[in-house]
Amino acid sequence: MCAVDHSKNGEGQQVEQPERRKLLAWAVGLINGALLLAVFGPVVGFVTSPLRQRRTGSWIPIANAEELPSGMMKEVTFTVRVQDGFMAADRKYTLYLRRDADEVIALDPACTHLGCRVRYQPDRNRFLCPCHGGVFDEAGKVVSGPPPKPLERTPVKVEEGQIWVYREA
Amino acid sequence: MKTLTPERPVETHSENLTPEAELRVSRPGLRDWLDLRLGWWGFVRKNLDEPMPPGVGWWQTLGNLLLTLLIFQFVTGVALAMFYSPSPDHAHQSVKHLTENVPFGSFVRGLHVWGSSAIVIVTVLHTLRVFFWGSYKKPRELTWVAGVIIFNVVLAFSFTGYLLPWDQKAYWATVVGTRIAATVPFVGDALLHLIRGGPEVGALTLTRFYAIHIMLLPAALVFLVALHLYLVRRHHIAGPVMPQKGRPVAFYPTQLFKDAVVLLFGVGIVITLALALPPGLEAIADPTGTDFSPRPEWYFLGLYELLKIMPPGWEVVATVIVPGLVTVGMFLLPWLDRSESRHPARRQWVIVTGMLIILMIGLMTLKGLLETPPAGH
Repeated sequence: MCAVDHSKNGEGQQVEQPERRKLLAWAVGLINGALLLAVFGPVVGFVTSPLRQRRTGSWIPIANAEELPSGMMKEVTFTVRVQDGFMAADRKYTLYLRRDADEVIALDPACTHLGCRVRYQPDRNRFLCPCHGGVFDEAGKVVSGPPPKPLERTPVKVEEGQIWVYREA
Repeated sequence: MKTLTPERPVETHSENLTPEAELRVSRPGLRDWLDLRLGWWGFVRKNLDEPMPPGVGWWQTLGNLLLTLLIFQFVTGVALAMFYSPSPDHAHQSVKHLTENVPFGSFVRGLHVWGSSAIVIVTVLHTLRVFFWGSYKKPRELTWVAGVIIFNVVLAFSFTGYLLPWDQKAYWATVVGTRIAATVPFVGDALLHLIRGGPEVGALTLTRFYAIHIMLLPAALVFLVALHLYLVRRHHIAGPVMPQKGRPVAFYPTQLFKDAVVLLFGVGIVITLALALPPGLEAIADPTGTDFSPRPEWYFLGLYELLKIMPPGWEVVATVIVPGLVTVGMFLLPWLDRSESRHPARRQWVIVTGMLIILMIGLMTLKGLLETPPAGH
């Protein structure tokens, strides 16, 4: 510490000036705060970037319309090219398709309770969740158990003899 | 400065030096040289001489067992990380390779897998011992708080580590486990995105969990364990609930011997399990599968069962409110329990409430163990 930083008392001992001490303490706090902000701000922005990611969607043909007679439930697995973080991946998805008269519905098999995959029981016309016993009817509505809402419906259309679903990725 | 070690004092003043001591000062051996600079032996000696109140015994060995298991977990974890690749393309393959092809791979992974369960059990037992002995009372409140945080860090270790093999069991348990975050009111979806690194469990979930598992949590644990141990030594070990007759005994060798016996037993069980029941690996994670029944690790089964009995729309009670209240209650325990006495009979409401909670968790876990089918097809 430089001698000019201190005044001297009557006995010749160096005494720190309180104002100067306070100012330096503030300066240290300011420098550290600025450095923390400069590092942690971008780090937080970096880690939370998935929250700001914009999702894009597209229509995907997943089955021939002829393969789905009226009243039939069909489990269809299809592949979508997705950008999964640092890698492009061919990710597989499964949907249950059902045609009622002219309407086709596509149900996501993720249970609305906690995301376990429901299974269709053709003999009972019900979807059963293996985790917590949720039961859905063939339209995806909750029959019993803890699921809070019906199975998610994926947008679907029939064009050019194909069944198309809209998938966000 | 007079002493270097209690056993081998080194005189640093020239007067009254024996020829031997003079030689040690002028030409110190390695141990003396290091000790003059580190003061290590004095620190070790102080800890070995730590007085144990009469009545301290086998129940006080759990902390040492936990510390040892954590160190072994760190060692096996570092070894596994040398062969592991945190990418959906390679994670399963790398775990399969290290388990099946690398010498001692199955054993090292077995130690890590069984060690994680053992750590949960010992953490619970250690916490229960402190709870029933009332050792969290003044002035040890912050020792308890640090312990409660360590407990939660241990559970976070387990949750993040479960995904890393990237097999069916790991994938679906994580799909369900992370989905719990979505039940948090208002911010659930954002939280789910943040934890998963996107809308679905994928590459960024794996890298996130890996980074948290091998960097963030170990750093937090080292700090917390150091703080916990510092506080234990600062306030000394709490003796039995009712002071017992007798004189304090030094930690070394009596208590350390008991610690060693319990270590032999506890670590021995983990080694035996790693050898007898090597860890399995399911098929690689398949997001399309509709025929796989997920099942969380056994210590999360209680919560899993609680979710089963909640009516529609009340999931938040099981996912946030009940675990949140239990955790907050644990943190605040030293201040909720206002009684002066550590004796269980004189703090009845705390003991009764605690036992009811323990009973509930135990029963729900047992129900889960009996009723939840094993993970698989």
